[in-house]
Amino acid sequence: MKRFINGIIVPVILLLLWYAVTRMQIFNEYLLPSPGTVWEALTELATSGELAKHLSISLRRVFFGFLLAACTAIPLGIVCGRSRYFYTYCWFLLEFLRHVPPLAAIPLIILWAGIDEASKLTIIFLASFFPLFLNTISGIRNCEPKLIEVGLSLGFSKTQLIRHIQLPAALESIVTGLQLALGYSWRALIGAELIAASAGIGYLILDAEEMSRPDIVLAGMLCIGIIGSLLDWAFLHVLQRLIPWYQK
Amino acid sequence: METDILFLQNLKKTYGNKTAVNIPSLEIRPRTFTCIVGKSGCGKTTLLRLLAGLETPDTNTKSITGLPAKTAPVFQEPRLMPWLTVKGNIMFSLKGQNGMPAAEERCWQLLKELELTEAAGLYPAQLSGGMAQRVSLGRTLFYDPELILMDEPFSALDYFTRRNLQEMVLRLFRHQQKTILFVTHDVEEALLLGDRILVMENGSIKADIPVMISFPRKAADTALQKMRQSILDLLA
Repeated sequence: MKRFINGIIVPVILLLLWYAVTRMQIFNEYLLPSPGTVWEALTELATSGELAKHLSISLRRVFFGFLLAACTAIPLGIVCGRSRYFYTYCWFLLEFLRHVPPLAAIPLIILWAGIDEASKLTIIFLASFFPLFLNTISGIRNCEPKLIEVGLSLGFSKTQLIRHIQLPAALESIVTGLQLALGYSWRALIGAELIAASAGIGYLILDAEEMSRPDIVLAGMLCIGIIGSLLDWAFLHVLQRLIPWYQK
Repeated sequence: METDILFLQNLKKTYGNKTAVNIPSLEIRPRTFTCIVGKSGCGKTTLLRLLAGLETPDTNTKSITGLPAKTAPVFQEPRLMPWLTVKGNIMFSLKGQNGMPAAEERCWQLLKELELTEAAGLYPAQLSGGMAQRVSLGRTLFYDPELILMDEPFSALDYFTRRNLQEMVLRLFRHQQKTILFVTHDVEEALLLGDRILVMENGSIKADIPVMISFPRKAADTALQKMRQSILDLLA
């Protein structure tokens, strides 16, 4: 509770500053709407059902893109992490691909996958695949050799070593990768929706900008930040259940 | 039985130009407690790793015969699985086997003998050094090997915890009738525990000393101190 109270002190101060600045009319209302105006826009979107509609579309995209990334990155990461030759032959390609942001590939993705759901899912997939893939490899490769020796000394086969030692040892790294991937996929989604979408929270912001509604833009941004934080918080709770020994 | 005796013949292990182990001949009888002492780098740990199958000897001929089917080490560090509780760690060897009769009962019995019953549900990060090392010992005992290889298992612990665990090991040795090879750099510890002391130097056995002092042994015993001094003189 104390931690929560300490954490909201700065946002409350910023909110009060924002209110004071708009009350003193330092900036044009168009450039910086007041907290009250933004709140009104937010409640209007909520009561009309539009906010829920756009949020649910965005969350569905994140869910499927993230799930696809997880289902491919983790098994592939395990196989590559166990391979002696993988890094020898693939490190340069990996480093290259890691530094190309998915948003830079949007024009190409739109060309190949169109402007429907496929392109958005592809962007989310690309954004979330690499952190998860690399974290999985790292978790497998960095399994403490001394723990492997324990397994060998107890007569474990190769499969048993992977199943009972390497995979559980890699779990922390994989879960960290999942947490990173979730954040990246949310951010990539908003970028994708800003450029090529007809629904979703990113589209809502772009549409508001075109309609000269900065209050809705700010309301949308607040939603993005709050939802992103809630996703992370919810994930941490799941994490604590999956790896209860982590905190201990 | 003759077949129960562990024979080492022309056992060699080199790392580059350095000979870590070079033992022409050595015999370890079953149900004995043999301690190996020597300076750092003399090959004690390498010898144990060769017997545990974690290293491969250089020699082509069969240099280790009579090795029991089940041999397990207790390492210097506990090497517990962080994702398993104390009970899970003790029963860890089950994952490599096709079940064990009365496994749960056996585990609780070991937890009781090792004074870990209250800690059964704790994770390794919540344990003290002494507790963690007891769990490591419990894990090996649960596996029920005929030969236990102990590589300086108590060296990182304080005096009182060490004494407590030494007494525990002796009690378990007498109760379970295992063969134990115990590596230590502490000559006094070797004399308190072993029936026999092998003094190693530069990879070879320099001296093979039976310990004829009856139990219970005390560190202050004149006979023990005399033996201790003569072994230290050998090592010097």
